[in-house]
Amino acid sequence: MTLARTRALAPAALAALAILPWVLARHQLSILVDLLIFGLFAMSLDLIMGYTGMVSFGHAAYFGLGAYGSALVLIHFEPPIPVALLAGALLAGVVAAPVGWFSTRATGIYFAMLTLAFAQLLYTVAYKWRDLTGGSDGIAGVPKTTLFWGGPSLAERRTFYYLVAVIVVLSLLACRALVRSPFGRALQAIRENEHRFVSLGRDSRPFKLVVFVIAAAFAGLAGALFAPFRGFASPEVMFWVLSGQGLMMVITGGIGTLVGPLIGAMVFLLVQEILSSYTEHWMIFTGAVFVLIVIFLPGGVVGAARRWFEARA
Amino acid sequence: MAFVAEQLLNALALAALLFLVSAGLSLVFGILRVVNFAHGVFYMLGAYLAFTAVTVSGQFWLSLLLVPPVVGIVGALLEASTLRFIYRRPPIYQLLLTFGLALILEESVHVLYGPTAKGVDPPALLQGSVQVLGAAYPRYRLFLVVLGVAVGVAVWLFLTRTRAGLVVRAVAQNSEMADCLGADVPRVRTLVFGAACALAGLGGAAAAPMTTAYLGMGVGVIVDAFVVVVIGGLGSFGGSMAGSLIVGAAQTWGAFYLPETAMVIMYAVMGGILIFRPWGLFGQEE
Repeated sequence: MTLARTRALAPAALAALAILPWVLARHQLSILVDLLIFGLFAMSLDLIMGYTGMVSFGHAAYFGLGAYGSALVLIHFEPPIPVALLAGALLAGVVAAPVGWFSTRATGIYFAMLTLAFAQLLYTVAYKWRDLTGGSDGIAGVPKTTLFWGGPSLAERRTFYYLVAVIVVLSLLACRALVRSPFGRALQAIRENEHRFVSLGRDSRPFKLVVFVIAAAFAGLAGALFAPFRGFASPEVMFWVLSGQGLMMVITGGIGTLVGPLIGAMVFLLVQEILSSYTEHWMIFTGAVFVLIVIFLPGGVVGAARRWFEARA
Repeated sequence: MAFVAEQLLNALALAALLFLVSAGLSLVFGILRVVNFAHGVFYMLGAYLAFTAVTVSGQFWLSLLLVPPVVGIVGALLEASTLRFIYRRPPIYQLLLTFGLALILEESVHVLYGPTAKGVDPPALLQGSVQVLGAAYPRYRLFLVVLGVAVGVAVWLFLTRTRAGLVVRAVAQNSEMADCLGADVPRVRTLVFGAACALAGLGGAAAAPMTTAYLGMGVGVIVDAFVVVVIGGLGSFGGSMAGSLIVGAAQTWGAFYLPETAMVIMYAVMGGILIFRPWGLFGQEE
């Protein structure tokens, strides 16, 4: 897609986001909120996967930490939502720091395996620490509270939708600014050729650690939105299946594009939603579709769209 | 003394199962440079097929003989029909492809066998227990130890003492050079992938009498197997042996002394080893 076309698409997408809650039915709107939340999750994964070349197989752990952080804060103190969002993102970032410190010692597949192992560890903690997390039952009844002290209630579904939409759009802009900054350029240099980056006199590990923490914080933010939206946090959201689905969303949409994973999450979840209304064994078809995408559409939806536009231009 | 012997044997039995899975995982990585996420599902497939074979024929030994080749053929066919086309891509694509395959296979087993676990009876010869250093120990677990050692020795002999094993090692070391020297690399890849799946299937068939065949057993074992190969070093046969013993020991003793945190111990051990050797005990820097 050329730059001009992208610029033309952005206002259209924003307008659609603004109008949709007045068009969609209640059930459809809640699906859209889901799509946006998981889109944010996939986008955060793209920061490390697409821009730095570090494939994390444990990204769901930070989504889950964000969900637990925000759920606990909301249940016990009932502060305005932004406080809970901050708490969730912060918790995810703080836990990601030591994990990242260990994991970035390794590269490639070893990095993936290490992040998977740490995620399973965090999952086990969430599962076993019954006093704090409620074990396998999780934490239910997370309130939606308000936008600020004495501010409007977020229990109304459209208000909550707009909160999610604004946060996702702002996060997209922040991530875009990040990958276009000198810091982001350094990340892409590491992705392209880490040996060369190091031999040019820079240490790559601090960069990898910082972006790992940032990505975890954004995943935590998505999780922190998820908990009040669904009203619960459970170990399920930390499970490796979600980590794997995150990778699938990124690939489906287009790795290293930020917008792609957002779209990929939507495509992925919509396909799942549609398939699951026809058959309870939708996983077979999701798996098959995904295998086909990996083989035939390596650039994902965005890559395919780009090629299509370029061919016509 | 009896207690120590019992714990030691438990650790060895667990290590034997882990070894059957992780050896294939490591072998596939060495030859194909693919981390096969679907590997655990082949383990599960082995367990379910063993259930079918034992139910139909009533012969445990026959099922142990028949199941591995069947699982191996399924694996080889999948490799030749999907993975083969994307070896030139960055490794993440292959990992994700096998993730998709894992979903398909897991759900297919669900469709075919339903959601309930399937028990398999061990053969009469292996039922009951024997006296080991004053402790009554289940025969079946001893059999697992023997099986693990036998397979380990067989694979090691194959890799180091036969011509085919030599070709496999050559492809692992430098596939382009092996190709130039006349090795049929695509065929080696397919065969190794199939053989690794057969090993996982054997592990599953052997595990079924102890753990039953259940959905999700593949994922459980693949995560443990990842820890094993990360500890031992991906692509190293000796590494997966050492890693299996370490993880088997960590889980067995952890489950006894610190039942709440048995999982944590396994990861703590892995973290500790990786601080000193980021590529595992026997692994080589990428």
